[in-house]
Amino acid sequence: MSQLLLAVVLLLGAGAGAVLLSRWPRLADRAYVTLLLAGAAVGVAEAVLVLRSGAVSATLSGSLPGGPWVFGLDPLSAWFLLPILGVGAAAGTFGVGYLGFERGHRPVAATHGLFIVLLLGLVGVVSAQAVVPFLAAWEIMAISAYLLVMHEHEQAEVRRAGLVYITLTHLSTLALIGMFAALSVNATGRSFTELGLGNQTPGSARSVALGLALVGFGLKAGAVPLHFWLPGAHAAAPSHVSAVLSGVMLKVGIYGLFRLMSLVGAPPPWFGWALFGVGLVSGVLGVVWALAQHDLKRLLAYHSVENIGIILLGMGVGVLGVAHGQPAVALLGFTGALLHTLNHALFKSLLFLGAGAVYRATGRRIIDQLGGLGRCMPWTALAFGVGSIAIVGLPPLNGFVSEWTVFQGLLASGASGEPLRYAVVGAAGLGLIGALALACFTKLDGTLFLGHSRSAVPGARPARDPGAVMLAPMLTLSGLCLAIGMLPVAVLRPARLIVAGLAIGADGGALAATAWQADAMRVTVLGGGLLAMILLLLMARHWLAAGAVARVAPTWGCAGAVSTPRMQYTASSYAALLLAAFGPLAGTHISRTADTFHSSVVDPVQDGAVLPAWRLLCRTGDRLRGIQGGRLRWYLLLVIFTLVALLFYLTKAGRAS
Amino acid sequence: MIIGPLLTLLLVLAVAPALPGLATRTRALLTGRRGAPVLQLYRDLARLFRKNVVYSRSTTAVFRIGPVVVIATVLAAAALLPLDGHAALLSFSGDLVAFTGLLGLGRFALVLAGLDTGSSFEGMGASREVTVSAFAEPALFLCLTVLVLATGELSLAGMLGERLAAVWPGAAPSLVLAAAALFMLALAETSRVPVDDPATHLELTMIHEVIVLDHSGPELGMILFGNAVKLALFGALVTGVLVPLGQLPRWLTPVVLLAGLGVVAVGVGIVESCMARLRMNRVPQFLVAASALAVFGVILLLR
Repeated sequence: MSQLLLAVVLLLGAGAGAVLLSRWPRLADRAYVTLLLAGAAVGVAEAVLVLRSGAVSATLSGSLPGGPWVFGLDPLSAWFLLPILGVGAAAGTFGVGYLGFERGHRPVAATHGLFIVLLLGLVGVVSAQAVVPFLAAWEIMAISAYLLVMHEHEQAEVRRAGLVYITLTHLSTLALIGMFAALSVNATGRSFTELGLGNQTPGSARSVALGLALVGFGLKAGAVPLHFWLPGAHAAAPSHVSAVLSGVMLKVGIYGLFRLMSLVGAPPPWFGWALFGVGLVSGVLGVVWALAQHDLKRLLAYHSVENIGIILLGMGVGVLGVAHGQPAVALLGFTGALLHTLNHALFKSLLFLGAGAVYRATGRRIIDQLGGLGRCMPWTALAFGVGSIAIVGLPPLNGFVSEWTVFQGLLASGASGEPLRYAVVGAAGLGLIGALALACFTKLDGTLFLGHSRSAVPGARPARDPGAVMLAPMLTLSGLCLAIGMLPVAVLRPARLIVAGLAIGADGGALAATAWQADAMRVTVLGGGLLAMILLLLMARHWLAAGAVARVAPTWGCAGAVSTPRMQYTASSYAALLLAAFGPLAGTHISRTADTFHSSVVDPVQDGAVLPAWRLLCRTGDRLRGIQGGRLRWYLLLVIFTLVALLFYLTKAGRAS
Repeated sequence: MIIGPLLTLLLVLAVAPALPGLATRTRALLTGRRGAPVLQLYRDLARLFRKNVVYSRSTTAVFRIGPVVVIATVLAAAALLPLDGHAALLSFSGDLVAFTGLLGLGRFALVLAGLDTGSSFEGMGASREVTVSAFAEPALFLCLTVLVLATGELSLAGMLGERLAAVWPGAAPSLVLAAAALFMLALAETSRVPVDDPATHLELTMIHEVIVLDHSGPELGMILFGNAVKLALFGALVTGVLVPLGQLPRWLTPVVLLAGLGVVAVGVGIVESCMARLRMNRVPQFLVAASALAVFGVILLLR
């Protein structure tokens, strides 16, 4: 715990350094990066220590308002601390280069400072072991994220996204306060251990708590239909902040669900089916909506909805496995969910950093205006390509490892014969999600990095790879994606131990099985074999072509005119065929006349349901406003009516009791 | 232990280029033509591997790596299939996810290699390829789910191995439905009629052929060979589901496997000779029909 405290102090120092030394930009940047990396390293070391030993690190408690303020790390907290500090350090370092361009016209130091506050809020959320500090850290996280989203507040679109975000995040807090209230009906205190002691929450209060958790944590995680704050907010924030918001902050919703389950014990089957259903819908719709996007960062943000869906799918299967006495299924589902949480943090932050590098180099975020960047930004293209393969869930990268585990959970549930066997249809859903993600990321990579630029001004200086301070974090994250994909046993072991430690189902029998180690090693063999085969074939190809000079010619124009950059297939046409199959669900609006064509994207939930409902509410309110006429007798009449109604109610209630 | 699967794999790789030839020849004979020899693809491959390449001016390293990844992923996927019904070269719980993932990686590389040329034709083909695969993928998972439910095994070697023979009588209707769906998927995954027409000559109507318009020489050869092996793998899957190879004596399995591959190839030819290509917006319906067959198979086992 003292190491965690040291990490927090170092992070505070980084924030203070960035703000206090802002008059000397170079020094401030250097102090900020050094202290940030040092703090993250200390924290990650402590988290790894906790994960290895499986023990709870000493807790730190203080007496403050609202009961004891207990902080401490158990393996579950430590697992979520890894991406917070790891991704936080990578994104923070990238941010120094990213915001360096804006130093002249924006208070960059404040943004760096707020970024540190956000990280500390996240650390607080996962290490808090009592209700009040948890909610306090939750609010620090939510508000600092709001301020970071508002970085470019001179744009109306950004202010609107911020408003939607701050409203909904408080709805989430409200639901969580209700949830904790329901949990503490019979509890002796407000620390997590006291809440969880003996699971004494009565059944009805427990159901209320689980339902409110679904709203509160689901909203934070961005699950459909409560996702609509997410794309706007994540697209509006600076790219390195988006990386943390999308890669890490969504995951505290997942953390909350895991923490809740460790408190209330085995949840009922309906909760499992709810998670499963929400996960499946979020997964499929998230990727369909991503496919429809024209804005690079909005596309990535919608993919977070998809990945949260995959995580919830795994959790749902886990809960069902517990509820129906199938510990092996539960273990696979929960492990898959935990693994995907970590993996998504790595590749999604990598992709957002890549998007930031593209934005800095070109000044554009509209996919259809870009193209051919692979030739002038090879390193960015490489890192982005690694992230794409990982997010699609293809071997030999880390996305495959977690999707493989979730798939096993889904298929094993089918083979179990219990009522949870219907969950096996989730495998087809996950297959669909994977194939759609492949379509989406071939669209993105192909349009951004391959072919020719679609908007190049002749004679303009070509875009270039960013400097080392921005490239190094991207390449480090790529390396981690490959490392986990090649050596899944390294992450499977701690994840399984955490699930066992949650004490919600997975018993010794399922844990004692060792077949998973051999399986994980075979995945290593498969990945190694694949990479070796690709290398060998490339060498053989090189050797085969030795001596011959390849001819270079224009792209074959099918006996027609030589193609020009404007004739390239656009990202929108690439996705159109697939989106047409999903009809109105896809949220694309196409308007065409004899000589124009325009397609725009809407969010079917926000623009189709929430906004109309809001407008209806406003109209109803306008009608009620007539009561406020300003005439005294009318007000007196209202007071009398209210009094009579209250008296009537009281006599009724009195008779009943 | 490793020798048997390895020999079977090499055998399948060796006969794979004959399968498209067999299908084309069947189609030709049934439509009253003589057609190209069955072994034509071997000659084409030999010719292509001797030739020099022409690269488009707009291509990058992605274009050169693409065909290599296609072939490497198909070979790695082949290592996961228990071709002789006894064992696979590599097998682990949930390896069916790796199987589909590897085919997906090959598609990823092929599509990006196509987009690398900056040609609108190849972009169009790439878009169609990913659309078709988006509908094929859930169907493939449903077919594999049928096998999981029937055998209770999570690895391909397990679900297509000896256990399958034991459960065959009880699960026969589901397995036949799954095999039919797999055959339809084989048509889609290897770009045959009614999803795509390998014999067409108009770029606007192509799917697979148009992605590889700019590939030439050994790189085109690799893609053609990869596609032939893919057909063989799906043929082996269909054969494995319909004939419990694990029960047969070891010396007989390669013979039955080859016969099965031949039947599948001739079947592809028969389909091609009596069906026209579907309109592009009908293709998803064809694949949804394959999914529906597999769903019926799943329902029969879940009830």
